[in-house]
Amino acid sequence: MRENNDKDTRETIATLLVSGFPTEAFPRADSHEMILDIVARLHALPDDLAQKLTVAGFTPEPVDIDGLSQSCETCMYYLVHQRFCELPELLLPVEPEWSCRLWRI
Amino acid sequence: MPNMLWLQGGACSGNTMSFLNAEEPSACDLVTDFGINVLWHPSLGLELGENLQKMLNGLVSGEIPLDIFVFEGSVVNAPNGTGQWNRFAGRAMKDWVSDLCKVAGYVVAVGDCATWGGIPATAPNPSDSQGLQFLKRSHGGYLGTGYTSKAGLPVINVPGCPAHPDWITQIVVAVATGRGGELTLDEFQRPKTFFTSFTQTGCTRNMHFAYKVSATEFGQRKGCLFYDLGCRGPMTHSPCNRILWNRQSSKTRAGMPCMGCTEPEFPFFDLAPGTVFKTQTVMGVPKDMPTGVDKSGYIKLTAAAKAASPRWAEEDIFVV
Ligand code: SF4
Ligand code: SF4
Ligand code: SF4
Repeated sequence: MRENNDKDTRETIATLLVSGFPTEAFPRADSHEMILDIVARLHALPDDLAQKLTVAGFTPEPVDIDGLSQSCETCMYYLVHQRFCELPELLLPVEPEWSCRLWRI
Repeated sequence: MPNMLWLQGGACSGNTMSFLNAEEPSACDLVTDFGINVLWHPSLGLELGENLQKMLNGLVSGEIPLDIFVFEGSVVNAPNGTGQWNRFAGRAMKDWVSDLCKVAGYVVAVGDCATWGGIPATAPNPSDSQGLQFLKRSHGGYLGTGYTSKAGLPVINVPGCPAHPDWITQIVVAVATGRGGELTLDEFQRPKTFFTSFTQTGCTRNMHFAYKVSATEFGQRKGCLFYDLGCRGPMTHSPCNRILWNRQSSKTRAGMPCMGCTEPEFPFFDLAPGTVFKTQTVMGVPKDMPTGVDKSGYIKLTAAAKAASPRWAEEDIFVV
């Protein structure tokens, strides 16, 4: 059941992202304070997909920072087999090549 | 029959609670099986007032031999170095500590406050607390770097917040039965038998550590707590997953991160809000690496291990 829902949601997100939907991909959450700040903003959001993507700063491709390619595929919150982001404030189906500014390894 | 005295300085009694819950051996076994004479203990001592003072003076003068002196809690120096904020039996506790350490066969510091100052010595350290022979990482503490007890050993540090019950009783038994000389201590004077391996040694989440699957909330039945929840298991010297708590479990087995309570810097980040249960990162990479691992090695290993992780690693694995 979740897999079907995930498929639909993943497609919806993909369509939004490739259409150039603007998100706050920068600045990246480089410091602990920024992470706490972004997570607090996500907490305060209503259950709204577009706003989640905006605040988390989703992009349809990896972002290179400091020689590191930040993609969902290498992110600690990513479940490889389920193609799912397990960050409690997101809990979204994703693609391995996507990225967001809460990436961590 | 070796005499043991246990006193408490700036303490919460957590190590006393721990000691009274020991099982292998228990506090009673110390007396019945190992013949230790517990002269006095804050929760067990019978002497009060003048009688206690008389006993302490007898120990200081050498009239009563003091084989093992166990100290729990920090040495309080406030105000102005007088130690009067922590008075005991008619004088500053720190003065009793000085005198008793001069005559003790062995001195055992139990818990973080007695070993490195612990929570009371956390900035701004209002009680001007010190550990017996360390203040956090710096050697010296209240007794000074050169201190050795009559048996020739420095203070034996059994850290923890609190120390595990059996770490305490096993060390007391070792010194009471004449095996103190066999104890080898690490650079922080912790018995190597307990403090060479890591909290991570024996953690049931090691598979998730290896495959880089993260727990994202306390108590989850899968995932390692290092990546998101601040687990200090890979860099904390403790046997918490070898000598289990209550003979059943450990923090990490139950889904709660190790807070590194056996290390001199505990509590880390001076307990600032949002720090203890969150892995600190810089540019998305953990600030504190597992002991012996460098940043670039960590990144390469993580990416490869994650890509290779099996499906089962993403599913609940622990049962209650
Ligand atoms: S937190 Fe990680 S897995 Fe989740 S969307 Fe961001 S980069 Fe992807
Ligand atoms: S939960 Fe902590 S101790 Fe256990 S494997 Fe992960 S990092 Fe190590
Ligand atoms: S798991 Fe860590 S914080 Fe808990 S008792 Fe052991 S060393 Fe201390």
